[in-house]
Amino acid sequence: MSLAQMVLAILLLPLGAAAVIALFLRKQGALASWVSVAAAGAVVALTLPLVFLQAGATGSVEWLRLGSLTVSLGFKLDDLARLMLFVVSFVGFLIHVFSLGYMRNDPARARYFGGLSIFMFSMLGIVLADNLFMLFVFWELVGFSSWLLINHWHERQSAADAAKKAFIVNRVGDFGFLLGIVMCWWLNGTVNLSELDARHIVSAAVPLLLFCGVLGKSAQMPLHVWLPDAMEGPTPVSALIHAATMVAAGIYLLCRVNVLMVPEALNIIASVGTVTAVYAALCAVVQRDIKKILAYSTLSQLGYMVAAFGLGSTHIVLRKVGVVVVDLWASFGVGAAMFHLTTHAFFKALLFLGAGSVIIGCHHEQDIFKLGGLRKKMPLTFATFTIGVLAIIGMPGLAGFFSKDAILYLAMEKSTPIFLALAFTAVLTAFYMVRLWKITFFGEARSAEAKHATENGISMTVPLLVLAILSVVGGYSGVFGRLAGRVADLVPDAEGSAHTTILLVSLGVMSLGAGAAWFFYPAAGTDALEAKSSVVFSFFVALKESFDRVYGYYVAKIQQRFAMVLNFLDNIVLAGFIIRGLAGLVGLLGYGARALHTGNLHAYVYWFLLGTVLLWAFATGFF
Amino acid sequence: MNFPDNARLLQLAIATPLVSALVIALGRPKRHALKLAAAAFALPALIAIRLWAQFPAGAGADYQFASRLDTGLAGFGISLQLGLNGVSMPLFVLAGIVGLAAGLYALRSGAERLKIYLLLLLVMQGGLLGMFASVDLFYFYFFHELALIPTFLMVGVWGGRDRNYAAMKMTIYLTVGAMLSLAGLIAIYVQSGAQSFDLVTLRAELAAHPLPFTVQKHLFGLLLFGFGTLVSLWPLHTWAPLGYGAAPSSTAMLHAGVLKKFGLYGLLQVGLPLLPQGAQHWAWTLALLAGLGNVLGLGFVTMAQRDLKQMLGYSSVMHMGYCFLGIASLSVIGAGGVVLLMVAHGLSVALLFQLATCIHHRTQTFDLTEMGGLARKAPVLAAFFAAAIFASIGLPGFANFWGELAIFVALWKFSPWITAVAVAGVVISAVYGLRAAARIFYGPPSEAFQRAAAAQPPADLDWKERLPALLLLATLLFIGFWPRAVSDAADAALRASLPAVVPTATVTFHR
Repeated sequence: MSLAQMVLAILLLPLGAAAVIALFLRKQGALASWVSVAAAGAVVALTLPLVFLQAGATGSVEWLRLGSLTVSLGFKLDDLARLMLFVVSFVGFLIHVFSLGYMRNDPARARYFGGLSIFMFSMLGIVLADNLFMLFVFWELVGFSSWLLINHWHERQSAADAAKKAFIVNRVGDFGFLLGIVMCWWLNGTVNLSELDARHIVSAAVPLLLFCGVLGKSAQMPLHVWLPDAMEGPTPVSALIHAATMVAAGIYLLCRVNVLMVPEALNIIASVGTVTAVYAALCAVVQRDIKKILAYSTLSQLGYMVAAFGLGSTHIVLRKVGVVVVDLWASFGVGAAMFHLTTHAFFKALLFLGAGSVIIGCHHEQDIFKLGGLRKKMPLTFATFTIGVLAIIGMPGLAGFFSKDAILYLAMEKSTPIFLALAFTAVLTAFYMVRLWKITFFGEARSAEAKHATENGISMTVPLLVLAILSVVGGYSGVFGRLAGRVADLVPDAEGSAHTTILLVSLGVMSLGAGAAWFFYPAAGTDALEAKSSVVFSFFVALKESFDRVYGYYVAKIQQRFAMVLNFLDNIVLAGFIIRGLAGLVGLLGYGARALHTGNLHAYVYWFLLGTVLLWAFATGFF
Repeated sequence: MNFPDNARLLQLAIATPLVSALVIALGRPKRHALKLAAAAFALPALIAIRLWAQFPAGAGADYQFASRLDTGLAGFGISLQLGLNGVSMPLFVLAGIVGLAAGLYALRSGAERLKIYLLLLLVMQGGLLGMFASVDLFYFYFFHELALIPTFLMVGVWGGRDRNYAAMKMTIYLTVGAMLSLAGLIAIYVQSGAQSFDLVTLRAELAAHPLPFTVQKHLFGLLLFGFGTLVSLWPLHTWAPLGYGAAPSSTAMLHAGVLKKFGLYGLLQVGLPLLPQGAQHWAWTLALLAGLGNVLGLGFVTMAQRDLKQMLGYSSVMHMGYCFLGIASLSVIGAGGVVLLMVAHGLSVALLFQLATCIHHRTQTFDLTEMGGLARKAPVLAAFFAAAIFASIGLPGFANFWGELAIFVALWKFSPWITAVAVAGVVISAVYGLRAAARIFYGPPSEAFQRAAAAQPPADLDWKERLPALLLLATLLFIGFWPRAVSDAADAALRASLPAVVPTATVTFHR
């Protein structure tokens, strides 16, 4: 099997699985799920050798050609793509396996697994794409898969609304993204990534327009509103699409088009990421739904990655390699962002699947204040979830510690305000995660569901274990370095006194947040913050709802009314006055025609035929 | 490849529905009439696919499968000249496939006086196939009228609510539009001095001796507003939502899907190549009408619709705006996008109109606000409808995406602001498309639907409904996955016919 064939197989196997399921297995849920899992497994099997052999390759075929426009279907397998390929296929496979258990009793299992396969196809397409047009194609397709899977329980109004919202909000971002691609094509005559690497015209508009796509897909402010709602989808979907992979595609895109970046654009990107990180962390503090907490946490962590990317290229020290000064500017941002993307994929997938395990164990109870005491009833879930919590809050030695430190260090070097904001976010992260962890797993069971909770079967626990191991070891260079190749060299590394400072800072913020939450929140059925300081609590709630309010107002009051007004004008003014006026004139002619109006259908048909013949006869000079 | 044979097949494809209509009119018993009609829809589709497969894409600039028949009008420079080039080939396939789907659906529609309904559909189908295969402008127009008149009859007789008003309005608009474009065509014939309606001759003649700018300006204006009315250019569009709202489904499928493309096709094959300076003169007017009127304005109007068929009608008008914008871009990229989008839109809108009727059979209403939760009873119908909606809002994987993409790319060179307006339309169409899908199929069942379901439990799509839908969907996906099946031939044809349009703007980047 040649390299190109392997890449092609990675891309097409999930598509094939989805097609087979859609065409033949709609009513055989069990078989459909195994077909989908097998395809995901085969993708991992093909990916691993590519990653560990550090195989690099490109190749393409022409997909569309019109005039000077050529769109090609090609792949670019470099270090960045390989890292992402590993994350997507490996985490994806684990979540497929987890879904076997999670969706066991779902009547529409076939549709679910077909959707997962479509998603894998689309996501792998983004990873492999060698040009922006192709990337956009798959970018839209992950949006579709996301719609499909959020909409899985479509009988629920909330799920149907959330799916629609997710797709539309993403389309708003893609408005800018597509314009950016088109502009880039006209400026440079190409949107091929390697060719852009080699040569491109500097422009601030292109990267900013492309970043609009990231706002949507990676749910950055102000387009973040769809992600919390997307939790209406089945939990494994939240883990795969709305935490580990698809939402990270925005960060991957930024790294892919890194060369196009200019300082102005990067400053904006860093600011947007920072604001999102802080805002979402604040929102997470007052959530009660276990998945919503994790969703806001995801938003916040994505903000971290975006901020990291944006930071990377401002005034960084140039590196000397021998006598040659290598211009590595933006690349530190890429390293830090991709590092955190990878570790986040591991521990956030772990946390979501852990939440899924809790939700199944407790018969779909998602309110943490109605859970409690699960530490003993679901020991394996508890243990792995604990590892996930420790990883995300940055416990030294775990994956999240290393990647978060890299970002904090970069921020400290580059921008004090961003550093302070991100450090504050880290405090909040530790705070809301420990809150979630303590209230869910400690104390007494506070509902019948939690009382009768039981640990789940191996299809669900094994993925948890594997992800827990990755959440521990994923940050070490022996693992990440192996996966990321040269991208790992771009991770900023604190040395000397900076190392000590950053270590102290991160230990400090972690213990502050975690300790505060541990002592502030009793494992009880009410929210301590709401009880003790309702002003702060309602401020956070208002903060969270402000965006939805504004958008809700826009949709209901502005957009819809504008549409009604235009519709009125169209119907009354255009169609009514102007056209009826004309019709009156024609109506006079109608008097004559009415003589022929016999109401007999055959008559019409024969009149028509006769007329044709007469016309013809006249034209040919028959008369 | 045996060209004379294929030329015969092309003639056969056009003759079959017309002759069958005649046979049915002469009174074959109904049982045979249905079989005959089925065969008469299937044969042209099969021929179209065969010709498509054998079409030499690289030679798309020349008319393939050509033949010439004298019909007694040679004195006027008119003869029945048939052939397909890279632009007409995809549209001929569109006509064949949508015709077959509409025919299959009509066969089981249980319409009253089914025989006459089928007869009219067959005449329409013959006209549509002939229209795209005509190299002679007279016959191009003649076949269009042949397809148009049965449309009026079908809307007036088999139509739904408001059918009389709708039929009258459609007739007035489309007749006026057709008259204007006929005047334009005749004027070209007169002004060119070529003494011929043959498009190839006209092209050669006018390339050698272009018409003066003022003449071009007036002639293109005639064609633009004539053809524009037929394609529902804002503000000449108001017949369309009303007409489609009232038309029986197979008629709407054929008209919105195929017949409406006559005007765009005319602008691409006649207007742009023969009157390049005229086109340049009108480009901004066209771009503003189509961009602000069709795409943006009517996009919002579409959002406000409560009636499913009206909504589809408006969305179809909105998408025609993209086609006009592609034409206004005066470039091979844009025109190629128009060819792709014409085919794609034809397939997807036909699919949507068919499914709208399938939905109506189950809910007894077209009112979106009264629907809800149909997916739990009819999951396959829901899947088809969702696919059709995603196709029409330009999701990659379906043909429509490629047309829109090429048009957006071409427009940037014309004007980035107009491009932004056009791309904003993509957001708008996602809003109304997904909203409609959600209202009809998802969420808890509405009260009205529960009542309708209690009276008559709705079944999922049966095979007679699935077959035409599958045919359309499969074609959309095929072109979506492999757009070169359409674009290669179109590119060759447009490169040959269009460079004259914008001698300065043929940008040659290495990719």
